[in-house]
Amino acid sequence: MTQVTGYIGRSVKRKEDARLLRGEGRYLDDLNHLKPKQVAFWRSPYAHARIKAVRTAEARELPGVIAVFTGEDFAPVKPLVTEIQLEGYVAKPQDPVARDKASHAGEIVAVVVAEDRYIAEDALELIEVDFEPLPAVVDVDAALAEGSSLVHTEVPGNIYYRGRRVFGEVEAAFAKAELVFRETFRTSRIAGTPLEARGCLAEYDPYQDVLTVWSSTQIPSILHLKLAEIFGMHENGIRIIAPDMGGGFGIKAQIYPEEIIIPFLARALRLPVKWVQDRREDLLTGVHARDHRYELEAAVTREGVLTALRLRMLTDAGAFSSFPFGCTLEATGGARMILGPYKIRNYEYDTIAVATNKAPAGAYRGVAQPSCFFAIEGLMDIIAGKLGLDPAEIRRRNMLSSAELPYTNPIGIHFDSGSYGESLEKALQSARYAEVRGEQSRIPADAGRQIGIGLACYTEISGISSKGYQSRGVADVPGYDSVRMRMDPSGTVAIYTTLTSQGQGHWTTFAQIAATELGIEPDQVRVVDGDTGLAPLGTGTFASRASITGGGAVFRAAREIKRILLRVAGGMLDDLPPEELELGEGFVRARGRKLKVTLREAARKAYEIRSGGSETREIPGLEVIAYYDPPPSNWSNAVHLAVVELNLVTGFPRFLDYVVVSDCGNLINPMIVDGQIQGGAAQGIGEALLEALEYDPGGQLLTASWGDYLIPTALDVPEMKIEHITTPCPSTEGGVKGMGEGGAIGALPAVVNAVNDALRRSRCWTGVPITRAPVKPEDILRRVGAVGAEGGDGR
Amino acid sequence: MKSAPFEYLVPASLAEALETLAGHQDETKVLAGGQSLVPLLKLRLARPRYLLDINRVPELSYLELKDGRLHLGALTRHSALGREPSARGSCPLLAEAAARIGHTAIRNRGTVGGSLCHADPAAELPAAMIALGAELKIDGPGGTRLVPAAGFFQGFMTVDLQPDEILAGLSVPVAGPGTGWSYLEVSRRHGDFAIAGVAVWLSLDDKGLFRQVGIALAGVDDRPWKARACEDFLVGKEAKEEVIAAAREQLAGFDPTGDIHASREYRELMAGELFVQALRQAVERAANNL
Repeated sequence: MTQVTGYIGRSVKRKEDARLLRGEGRYLDDLNHLKPKQVAFWRSPYAHARIKAVRTAEARELPGVIAVFTGEDFAPVKPLVTEIQLEGYVAKPQDPVARDKASHAGEIVAVVVAEDRYIAEDALELIEVDFEPLPAVVDVDAALAEGSSLVHTEVPGNIYYRGRRVFGEVEAAFAKAELVFRETFRTSRIAGTPLEARGCLAEYDPYQDVLTVWSSTQIPSILHLKLAEIFGMHENGIRIIAPDMGGGFGIKAQIYPEEIIIPFLARALRLPVKWVQDRREDLLTGVHARDHRYELEAAVTREGVLTALRLRMLTDAGAFSSFPFGCTLEATGGARMILGPYKIRNYEYDTIAVATNKAPAGAYRGVAQPSCFFAIEGLMDIIAGKLGLDPAEIRRRNMLSSAELPYTNPIGIHFDSGSYGESLEKALQSARYAEVRGEQSRIPADAGRQIGIGLACYTEISGISSKGYQSRGVADVPGYDSVRMRMDPSGTVAIYTTLTSQGQGHWTTFAQIAATELGIEPDQVRVVDGDTGLAPLGTGTFASRASITGGGAVFRAAREIKRILLRVAGGMLDDLPPEELELGEGFVRARGRKLKVTLREAARKAYEIRSGGSETREIPGLEVIAYYDPPPSNWSNAVHLAVVELNLVTGFPRFLDYVVVSDCGNLINPMIVDGQIQGGAAQGIGEALLEALEYDPGGQLLTASWGDYLIPTALDVPEMKIEHITTPCPSTEGGVKGMGEGGAIGALPAVVNAVNDALRRSRCWTGVPITRAPVKPEDILRRVGAVGAEGGDGR
Repeated sequence: MKSAPFEYLVPASLAEALETLAGHQDETKVLAGGQSLVPLLKLRLARPRYLLDINRVPELSYLELKDGRLHLGALTRHSALGREPSARGSCPLLAEAAARIGHTAIRNRGTVGGSLCHADPAAELPAAMIALGAELKIDGPGGTRLVPAAGFFQGFMTVDLQPDEILAGLSVPVAGPGTGWSYLEVSRRHGDFAIAGVAVWLSLDDKGLFRQVGIALAGVDDRPWKARACEDFLVGKEAKEEVIAAAREQLAGFDPTGDIHASREYRELMAGELFVQALRQAVERAANNL
């Protein structure tokens, strides 16, 4: 049951909605108060080509064009280097504008600044570039093949990163294994493609020597520090503002060349300069994700217990190691998370991030967790099928029980709390599992429709701390977050936070925390996010962290303000010590006595230096800065259960039921948590059934619009039954665990497992499970022989 | 994604539109609902010198029942086909096909004339018009000519329309006793272009024999594809399952292309499946209608 304390645990309506739902949000595209000049980019049409000459004279002469820049003009700018302190990683500096060669289709080769975007794009057509095309490497096998063309000469063998580790007695376990299972799982390259694409606006004030950058970014603090370093400026001369955002999903948690170019232009031209990304640019150059292959080998007992697991993982990193997480993000993520809630004691991985001539890969909701759980959960079902076990039963036999917690898994991940088995049983109950199994078995094997049930049990890493990022070698992500909090003389509160909001509802949840701690109403709390000129420095909103790190900082700041306030109030109430006072409903009251002052009076007093306020404290005012660096990492857990009906004539699946049981510790706002789950699961369903960025053999993206890159619409997403188990985190402020990515993690394995489960019921089933996402209708028909086998891609 | 420069012309009458068109011919694109043309302009795949916006030409906006046919102006919006009682009641096939076009906003802007002239081979209305035996009214400097829908589509996005002509409107037959219809489609998501679509418009006589049959397929050839052999096969035969199955055997000659959304084989398979399902549904409706 959800724990309610004050406003925490209540589905308070979102403070931001009145504005956002009326269309009154202020997104980057809406920021025109500076009347900025507009930018368009000349992007490489080649996936791999040497740049011989860039001719811009004609473009410069077009009326309305202010300036045209090429790679050479950016020589003074320090290239972006993604530092990852892991053995086996190769760093390759990236220039904001390509100079010698283009390494993926869409890489920027020239930049036009004009009075408006129309003119800027007209000018693009007048730029001529002489290229010498080079062989494009567009898949990991070709990239790793001997004698392959190199994406960068600095990256030998096209291997950006290779990590190999053995934990426990893997070889011995396989030597005495009763059964060995081998299976390969693949996920397709996909895009987070937020409804609002990226964009950047910059203004340089030479009088104050201040560069202000508005960017649709999830990491203003990280951008702030990096721009100072790249431009050789003092950090105090930079301000980054992330305005309202229409989604981010991790895509905006990278620093992109445009975020260096636009501020550079504003400084160089001393003009406000703006660029708003269009959808084609988003799909072509926004970080991609999940181009993964998992080759699994499992040692299994006849009872279905996994005694050892070997993983060879390949991720297609694209042309550059994106900043700040690096191309190691997915490779280490998949290899580290795959053991999930299972007590597999012997484990070995060999994980490789491969350079190719595609857009860089990076962070997208769930990172490698959707794919690694797709692999392990798919394998569980395959083993269960072979051993004649129910999919729920094989999971029970391998899963950690609550009695076994806390538990440290073989790679050193510490699970301090969770409800793996309880979540599974609750999901089965909620979906009437036994009944649906019965219903399923009553459908004849030769029927044109079959029902399938798919399970996904997973853990979700959240709120990664400074130590957590250090352990994965990520040098430029601090890991802590912070807030500056001020209680005004009138008793209202402002919170300036290092977190951004791209849909999370922090205006509401942070206000709920502060209001609860300070005994006021959430409406009396204003949350200002994403502005490094107002907030301290910190990390940003991604990887399911804000409720832990931002929420934790709010808890701490509010307690500190409360402490000061009680001391001041004590001075007004017979000099009572704080422990004899309590705060609530807008008053400070003396415990067990009738004495009280209003919170407003106490707050005002705190600002009165001469009349007593200062006597109880050296510094006047009620303003504090609080940091929160959580315990190394915090794990929530959940189970998704999908029931689908397959139409074996058309190959289309239809959802009959969808259940999520989530345990993310204490909930701050259950409505917002449910929304996160629903949205995440929608994206996971897209990944399972629709989404794929397709490249042709020459490295051209074939899916550069939403007409060809298919994301799920409301019609493709079922209603979900969402339930919660609350196992408070023993180590975080407020007992919360992060869960923002979970929906996206569970849906992919649950949906594909459901499809496979339905296929197994058909008499026409070829006996080969689907191990590749997305599952197209014809992939389903191929598995019942209605469409012939085609190609050698394992579909 | 901003269009290249063009000159925007807004005629107030059909005569003025034709006159403007005659003056500029090859350099002009006609803008109706803009649901295909505007994206092409933004991507700079289309770069006309003049854009002739016909939205304010009153002669192109009509929807009326006359002489036993439904007459539609070229500017009739897709949504009107399902919303207007006279259209929905008299020609339910159009309402059913139009419901599969894109999404609400697209259906509110997109026009019947625009869809036919754009002639995307996977589009719904061209196939429906062929099944219906629609008669297209084309105006040009030489006056008006009437073209049957089946002859209008000449190749991949190519239609029988001269650069100085405008598709002004069309007429389709209306449902009577014994009329049956169906539009079925398979697409990755609702609103996407058809992987395969089948439009059927038929009538049965009082003995339950096929009196008239129109069938056209979308998404399986370089143009909307008329299933002529199947139509001929069915006419005069009894409307029953075995005959429908036999008609499917006659379904051949179209030439689908595989792409990232569906292979050629899958399109062929779906065309055959939808053909049978659509015929069944149309027959059932016709029988209820007798």
